[in-house]
Amino acid sequence: MRAISCIAVNVFRESVRDRVPYNLVVFAVLLIASSFFLGQLTAGQDVKIIKDLGLAATSVFGLFIAIFIGIGLVSKEVERRSIYSLLSKPISRPQLVLGKYAGLVLTLAVNVAVMTVAQFAVLAYLTWTSDPAIQSAWDAPGIDPALLKAIALIFVELMLITAVAVFFSTFSTPLLSAALTFGLYLVGHFNADLRNFEVAVNSRTAAWIARGLYHVLPDLSAFDVKTQVVHGLPVPAGYLALTMGYGGLYIALLLLTATFIFSRRDFK
Amino acid sequence: MAAAIQAEELTKDYAIGFWRKRPYRALDRLSIAIEPGEVFGFLGPNGAGKTTTMKLLMQLVYPTSGRAEILGHPVGHVATRQRIGYLPENPYFYDYLTAEELLSYFAQLFGYPAADRAKRVSTLLDRVGIGAERRLQLRKFSKGMVQRVGIAQALINDPEVVFLDEPMSGLDPLGRRDVRTLILELREQGRTVFFSSHILADAQALCSRVAVVAGGRLAASGRVSDILAFEVRGWELVMSALRPEVIARLTPIAQRIVEISPGRYSIELALDHPPERVLADLTAAGASLVSLNPVHDTLEDYFVKRVAEAGSARPASIGAPRAGD
Amino acid sequence: MTGTSAAAAHSTPGVSAFVYGLAAAAIMAAAIGAQIARDRIYQQRERDTERILYVRSGEAAKRITLDFDALAADVYWIRAIQHYGGDRLVGARAHKYELLYPLLDLTTTLDPYFTIAYRFGAIFLSEPAPGGPGRPDQAIGLLQKGLIAQPTKWQYFHDVAFVHYWHLRDFKTAAQWFQRAADQPDSPNWLRPLAAGMLTAGNDRASARILWTQILASDQEWLRKTAARSLQQLDTLDVIDQLQAVVRRFPPPPGAPYSWDDYVRRGILRMVPFDTTNTPFDIDPASGTITVSTASSLYPMPSLPS
Repeated sequence: MRAISCIAVNVFRESVRDRVPYNLVVFAVLLIASSFFLGQLTAGQDVKIIKDLGLAATSVFGLFIAIFIGIGLVSKEVERRSIYSLLSKPISRPQLVLGKYAGLVLTLAVNVAVMTVAQFAVLAYLTWTSDPAIQSAWDAPGIDPALLKAIALIFVELMLITAVAVFFSTFSTPLLSAALTFGLYLVGHFNADLRNFEVAVNSRTAAWIARGLYHVLPDLSAFDVKTQVVHGLPVPAGYLALTMGYGGLYIALLLLTATFIFSRRDFK
Repeated sequence: MAAAIQAEELTKDYAIGFWRKRPYRALDRLSIAIEPGEVFGFLGPNGAGKTTTMKLLMQLVYPTSGRAEILGHPVGHVATRQRIGYLPENPYFYDYLTAEELLSYFAQLFGYPAADRAKRVSTLLDRVGIGAERRLQLRKFSKGMVQRVGIAQALINDPEVVFLDEPMSGLDPLGRRDVRTLILELREQGRTVFFSSHILADAQALCSRVAVVAGGRLAASGRVSDILAFEVRGWELVMSALRPEVIARLTPIAQRIVEISPGRYSIELALDHPPERVLADLTAAGASLVSLNPVHDTLEDYFVKRVAEAGSARPASIGAPRAGD
Repeated sequence: MTGTSAAAAHSTPGVSAFVYGLAAAAIMAAAIGAQIARDRIYQQRERDTERILYVRSGEAAKRITLDFDALAADVYWIRAIQHYGGDRLVGARAHKYELLYPLLDLTTTLDPYFTIAYRFGAIFLSEPAPGGPGRPDQAIGLLQKGLIAQPTKWQYFHDVAFVHYWHLRDFKTAAQWFQRAADQPDSPNWLRPLAAGMLTAGNDRASARILWTQILASDQEWLRKTAARSLQQLDTLDVIDQLQAVVRRFPPPPGAPYSWDDYVRRGILRMVPFDTTNTPFDIDPASGTITVSTASSLYPMPSLPS
């Protein structure tokens, strides 16, 4: 346990100092801030744009950071062999993988928190400067706690993507890992369409295969409740629980597989 | 006394090739034992299996067959790593950490409490000659400085056994001397040092025993003193005030005559020319003796001979030689 | 992939592959279980959010999907079918179909040669309420968009003609469009007589039968189903005519309402008549007009005199 937290803190420290993720976060915050000005152009739709943009920025930049650090901190480390000195310390290989993952999650958490604070700051300013009459026409309040539900699901999704990145890193080169992770991200978002394949297709076999893939591939579109939250539609607690539970289980599967592969591989 | 490091029939095959994998034997049934307190040199040309052996001992790769033990425990036993240190070849650490932070991080992994850590880190960095740069991020370090940091991290836990893979690489002559001194210190302290190198002069100076690997096999091993003692090949006579006409007389019998400075020459005689006779002749001709020493085969000569004997054929499996090791 | 060697070739510490496999399978099963549970409980979510389709503009979508237009078109097409199928299947809810046209528009902007989307889309769009959105105008608009990309595709002319004929009851325009279809290269030779027949006796079931029988031969299941249903409706119209004649010939006693029981009691009919879906016909108690019941899937019926 101590070893895992020690490695995690170190991963966090490295990523904070690495210029690229740092710049990404800064850029994301700027984007969120600028959404305020974009909002001015849209005649009453400003709160929607700010929320949409903020959540989208958190999601997209979070994705880039997850892939970038995920690959950089594991796959690149294996390629550059800096992992040799770590492996000779009194820690097991599973501890190493889990420690790296924990560090990545910590980094993501801080980044997402920063972006969330920025978003709420902009929303707070907007709410403060807007006419109550206009506000009553909004689908959902300016400072809406339900936004946290969307952000929570985005965060769990990012944790899942990071686990995918770590998984690929245990056996693949940095570039390939990044490509595969991104590919799986895209596939995961079209997952919902796989489920309804049988409606559009005549062959039973194809429908079965599609259904199978729907269950086995990560179902990422389920984590996207941005639209509901922005329009004030309810997101039931049960839905949150089941989806986050699904995410947690899938992450466990990925990490289990990653540690399995990592424990058995040769470092040539 | 139980061996500090022991390998028995340690073998490693790699599968190479893209479509039809052919087995390539990087290491063939290596069996060696290193006693506690020894400085052991593991020598060999590139591709001989030195780094493979090191990696097998550090469990960076898994053996195809055979076994190895460190301090009585099988390789890979996590708790044993508390007592060993490892310097990889051409080490690379973390760009964005400072030297201090890196060592502190590793010290933490060993479980040292905070105050102890700070002291250890500082002492070690002093010992390897890193001064104010210790607060700079490692990406700003030169290769030589990284090597020093590498040595420091290998010693952070006062290890009983130290594994050094090419410890001199990247160092300038001053640096190499520092490392040599350090290894001698480790020996004084009773630690076991296992290092691989292709700089034979260092091995000759530091090691009590050496092993030579070539083509994945152990070609020879033995005590350095034994190797050197047996391999006397001649005598070196250093004379001063030698006149050129006298030198002319020496030419047929001397293997080599080198002028060190005007009038002073180093004369190498083969074993079958007893030096006393030549000395008497030269003194009679007016030269004076500066020194008389036996000429040993260097470790390099031993090395080259053994490697040539081992041949370039790989044992057992067919495989094309790989670049690097 | 770098650095891997056969796991079987060396002895490795830790968990055996079998135990790992078992654990992995268990976790996967649990994850899928959570997924299925969530899907089952929270089905509605998809319907609601689909209605808030963010990118409605075809041009915007085209830019966003970069070079994967055709693939994106497929995705939208699948969603269009879901939408149509979905709304039809969920019985109790009010069928609105308001997303159908935007989805079809998006699909065809992304892939202007997506024939089925135009043809099928037109049929969906023209289907009258409550089975469909009842927008023959949108159907024609969609087909004309198809004609911009493929100006000589006779099928699109045929479909436009069809909408005019069946839904808008404009036989003259229908005939013109059938004529234009016949003028296109590769058009089948039954189009010209159809156009001619339309002008003279367009307003009849015989022409309708011919048209629907053509469609029955389509390779698309939905088209075939619609054609079969329409043919059933035509047959049902014939049956109603016959029944109506019988009902008129034997009216009930003065003051008594028209009812099936009455006719059965009187022995005029053997039993209460029902349509091809086994739903009994309605008979208006006051006027004796026979109609297909609103509970029948054949409802609403086209109005075509014999």
